Amino acid sequence: MNDRKKSRRRPGRPGESHPGRAGEPPAGRPGESRPGRAGNRAARMIREQRARERRRRRALWTSVGAVFVLVIAGLIGWGVTAARNAGDFTPPAGANPEGTGIVVGSGPVDIDIYADFLCPFCKQFEQQAGETIDQLVAEGKVRVTYHPVAFLNRYSSTNYSTRSAAASGCAAQSGKFLEYARALFDRQPPEGGPGLSDDQLVDIAVEVGLGRDSFRNCVRGNTFKKWTDHVTEEASRAGVTGTPTVMVDGKPVQASAESVRAAVAAAGG
Amino acid sequence: MTVTERTVVGVGDGGTPARGRWSVTRPWLSLASRLGLAAVWLVAGGSKISDLGASGRAVNAYQIFPYDVAMVIGAALPFVEIALGLILLLGLATRLAAGVSAALLVVFVAGIVSAWARGLSIDCGCFGGGGDLAAGQDPRYGTEILRDLGFLVLAGFLLLWPRTPYSLDAAIGIGPDDEEPAQEE
Repeated sequence: MNDRKKSRRRPGRPGESHPGRAGEPPAGRPGESRPGRAGNRAARMIREQRARERRRRRALWTSVGAVFVLVIAGLIGWGVTAARNAGDFTPPAGANPEGTGIVVGSGPVDIDIYADFLCPFCKQFEQQAGETIDQLVAEGKVRVTYHPVAFLNRYSSTNYSTRSAAASGCAAQSGKFLEYARALFDRQPPEGGPGLSDDQLVDIAVEVGLGRDSFRNCVRGNTFKKWTDHVTEEASRAGVTGTPTVMVDGKPVQASAESVRAAVAAAGG
Repeated sequence: MTVTERTVVGVGDGGTPARGRWSVTRPWLSLASRLGLAAVWLVAGGSKISDLGASGRAVNAYQIFPYDVAMVIGAALPFVEIALGLILLLGLATRLAAGVSAALLVVFVAGIVSAWARGLSIDCGCFGGGGDLAAGQDPRYGTEILRDLGFLVLAGFLLLWPRTPYSLDAAIGIGPDDEEPAQEE
């Protein structure tokens, strides 16, 4: 690089031999002065321009590289989710045909309840409206689909939302979804902590009358984790962006016993 | 070589004291902007990367993109944010990184403004979280927008003055000249 520069610096090119401006300080580097200041100056300008071009080219390639890195990063993210969503899920017994929730009752009016077992308002709704909904089911007025979504994984250190929802799938498999779901709400851990351990999830199952060994195998084997991902994914796709979300015949209603009852009555239930 | 040239430029500037002080503090302000912005992106990306589904749902909550597009954006965004943070941390292609940062921030602010204007009640999901707010929780669009505008100031400063000490740009010598376009020609 220096060699090339030096060869450009040779003085005495024709047309460049005007006298230099008087009093101009010697340009640039010490120890490089040659006869013919103007030629020297022109040479220096050329040299600097070359250096600028080189820098610009380097800057350009650096930018191209940086853009490349950003694009690759984005593609990685895309690939990671695509890989995560691949693969089949097995819905538990009692699920609707789409595999997006557990069905209770067979009345003409549809109620959809989207809840996360870590969500405090879902617990409130369950405790405030649970009986009313049971009653509507018992009267044969409604068909309730419970969607145990895992929206709040980042509010526990152990993905409690996914683990508890998958465990509720294990309970559904044994025909005790509702009992287990209510027990989970009763024992709801606080947000921001580790949540309940897998062993505690099994203990609760035993309390509602499920077999310890089979339930433990179901939980430990992540049997319904893929199903939980599917439930969550499909809930988002259906426009559910928060929990609890309650819909009567597909229309969102306020999450309270009164509004659910009113909406069911309005729908002819 | 870099040092010599910088000195020449400094002399050419004709050193009034104010100018001199500015040219001394400016690189350090740029450095602070660069590192601050890097931290913002690393934290923003890091808080989303552990739950890409939630990140996608946060994008979906703005109700701007179709669901599948929102999920892809939500999945890609944390990785891009972290890559951008690392690039800024290293000081590589700083002006470009600042430009991309500014563009992203403008898009984010526009998204929040649009959610606000449409009366949505969501968390911006800027640093994880996101989605609908629970009943009784008020959105904090104003704070979120002001915060992003603050970050935008950092990005803008870096866009104007991308040359910083302790950067790869300086190490490979592409810093000095992309700075004073007025000096050319």
